[in-house]
Amino acid sequence: MGLLQEAIFGVVTGSYIAIAAIGFTLIYGIVNMINFAYGEYLTLGAFVGFLAASAIPVPLPVAVVLAMIGGGVISIVLARGFFTPINHTGPVPMLLTSIGLGIAIRNAIRLFGGRSARYIETETATFRFDGVPDVTVGSVDLLGGFFVTSEHLIVFGSAVAVFLSIHALLTRTDVGIAMRAMGDDESLARVRGIDTQLIRDSVWVLAGVLAGLAGVLMAIQTNVSSTTGFSHILQILSAAILGGAGSPYGAIIGAYVIGLALAFSTAFLPSSMTGLSSAVAFAILIVVLLVKPSGIAGTEVREA
Amino acid sequence: MPSDTNDLVNRRTFLTVTGSSGIVGLSGCVSFGGGEESGGDGGTGDGSGDDGSGDGSGDGSSDDGSSDDGSGDGGPDTISLGQPASLSGQWDFLQPGVSQATDAAVAHINEAGGPLDAELEVIRRDTAVDPQEARTVTTQLIENDGVPAIVGLFSSEINPLWDFLQDFEVPMVTPWPGSTFLDTRGGDKATPEDLSDDEWLWRTVVGDTVHTSGSAVYALENDLDTLGVLNGTTEGERSYVEGFLSVYEDNGGTVAERVEVEIGGSSYQSALSRLFDAEFDAFLVSLPLESAITALSDWSDAGYGRQPILSDPLAQQDLVDQVGSDIHGAWAGSPGQSGPSYDTFEEIYSGEGDAEINAWTPPAWDAMQVIALAIERAGEATPEAIERNLGPVSRDGGTEVNTFAEGKEALANGEEISYQGAATPTNFTQHGNVFGSVTISTAGENGFEATSEVPAEDIREYVAEGEY
Repeated sequence: MGLLQEAIFGVVTGSYIAIAAIGFTLIYGIVNMINFAYGEYLTLGAFVGFLAASAIPVPLPVAVVLAMIGGGVISIVLARGFFTPINHTGPVPMLLTSIGLGIAIRNAIRLFGGRSARYIETETATFRFDGVPDVTVGSVDLLGGFFVTSEHLIVFGSAVAVFLSIHALLTRTDVGIAMRAMGDDESLARVRGIDTQLIRDSVWVLAGVLAGLAGVLMAIQTNVSSTTGFSHILQILSAAILGGAGSPYGAIIGAYVIGLALAFSTAFLPSSMTGLSSAVAFAILIVVLLVKPSGIAGTEVREA
Repeated sequence: MPSDTNDLVNRRTFLTVTGSSGIVGLSGCVSFGGGEESGGDGGTGDGSGDDGSGDGSGDGSSDDGSSDDGSGDGGPDTISLGQPASLSGQWDFLQPGVSQATDAAVAHINEAGGPLDAELEVIRRDTAVDPQEARTVTTQLIENDGVPAIVGLFSSEINPLWDFLQDFEVPMVTPWPGSTFLDTRGGDKATPEDLSDDEWLWRTVVGDTVHTSGSAVYALENDLDTLGVLNGTTEGERSYVEGFLSVYEDNGGTVAERVEVEIGGSSYQSALSRLFDAEFDAFLVSLPLESAITALSDWSDAGYGRQPILSDPLAQQDLVDQVGSDIHGAWAGSPGQSGPSYDTFEEIYSGEGDAEINAWTPPAWDAMQVIALAIERAGEATPEAIERNLGPVSRDGGTEVNTFAEGKEALANGEEISYQGAATPTNFTQHGNVFGSVTISTAGENGFEATSEVPAEDIREYVAEGEY
């Protein structure tokens, strides 16, 4: 396989991470907290999607929409119950609360949702492009034949739709502009008449919707279990920090850097080291932060 | 960013609610899948283990402890054994069969009068196959509950805790571990009365060395001379592959490419792409089930083809259901279910519930039988007595018995016995291992079905005497 094929795999992996990382980084930038329970939001979204697709059942696209709605509802309920009351305590107590909440939710899912993995039934079509010529540099083929599957296209298409929607939201709507204003200076935004609590709630709902979408996409590719989201939280966190914590655009870049690093390191590391592809992604994170502590697109270093 | 928000909930109220929620959540975490007891009235456990109360000591177990001297008139009323179990975690799908076999064995043993005429019970606690959890659970079972023997523990738990577990000097008879690490560790070194050289681990399932050898032999017999390997990075997956390749390469097989991957990934396409760049006849997959389903679905989507060979835990209906028809023809070599008393086991087992029989189910039955027989022969239920008698009740020589009931009767008549197991003949080697045939199961429309068997004698020539 050529570099192009590996890049496609990396972009697909990056797309999963990017959708979730945008929600994660919005919470960080506007609510000013690192939400370690965010992986469980993905899990809950995956369960909502699974239940909708199998128990009701509804067509998969409808199940995805229900998972997004469910994710938004769950996010605002959890925020109102556990985070909003301690907003004033600062980022560290909120971080610790989110860790505890994540553990409690994960175990509650295991307790009530059962222990076995569940699968969302899908049909996958594969599209092959075998006629692409090889362009070899050294031992590496830059192009060559490749394939994409319908799942790849859905994930990438969903990610692009999310990017465009988020961009439009942040630049074309009052709520989005208010979010950016709050991200810059909450006190000033409030003085200017912005209802900061409403904006916080909007961010929680938006982050939950994105978590629901990312969760159900991961569930389609893998399975639905109590660890569906938790197993990806480090990649999501890394993408957000790599891109510049608080910046949705940075999170997108960070996610694709990590996705491509995972794909290329698996492809090109020596055979005995292929199991270390995640370590390579995190090594890149460390190097970038050493060179540019605010991340790729970040402009400031925050307290938390 | 300075705090700047409107308080919508009274802080004291929030702390009260959060504190209460935390306590409830924590108690759920601590006791989740925790202790459950089987036995008593004949074993009522359903193997689900989802109601763990976290108790397990105290009521239900013997007042005077399971290590009471059984001599004279004052034999124990109840003998409790400890079972660390995978009620949750990535291997939990294998536990129902093992729980049901254990419960069926307990019921059968108690119906036959029980060891030393006492009632046998099992205290089952969840470790989630996590070494740290296993450390805690084993300590609880031995120190708090005073069990004289343990029935359980996986390779992933035993290997990192080896010295810790040996320090207890309590026999551990387990149906789970295949690890080659244990090939020369464990058993009484063929000196039952001398405990000084003993290592307190016995396994009633054939080790990876045996069934991976059987799989490798089968692959070579079918002209699959060049291999690609995709395996996880955990102890169990690596051990399986090392065992397979040891025999495969020593007998003319060649590995064209080996790719290790982290488990739980959302995609294995990059790893598969690298693997299938190489030329080989078949590829060996050794991953946990959920990761294997993701990887093999990716393999199916990409249309790579070639012959899949699966590690034994992957011979599951879920794999066929999720991957689809492309996986038809894949095969896995599992420890054979060809012990002399398999039919007896199956009849009693099927009356206990409807859990699916897997490769670890008959060994779980065997583990309970040999411990009960060891107690019966010893005349007491202490760790030392059980350790001394596990070899003598199982090895060749003496009257062959298929169940505890037959063994109890033979021992009462003053005869020596040789337990003939459900999974294997259960003739413990000096290192506490058993030897048996390997069943080849092939995936088809109806799931995995046994299609061939590699006899134990064929495999023996690849496993050196004294090294297993």
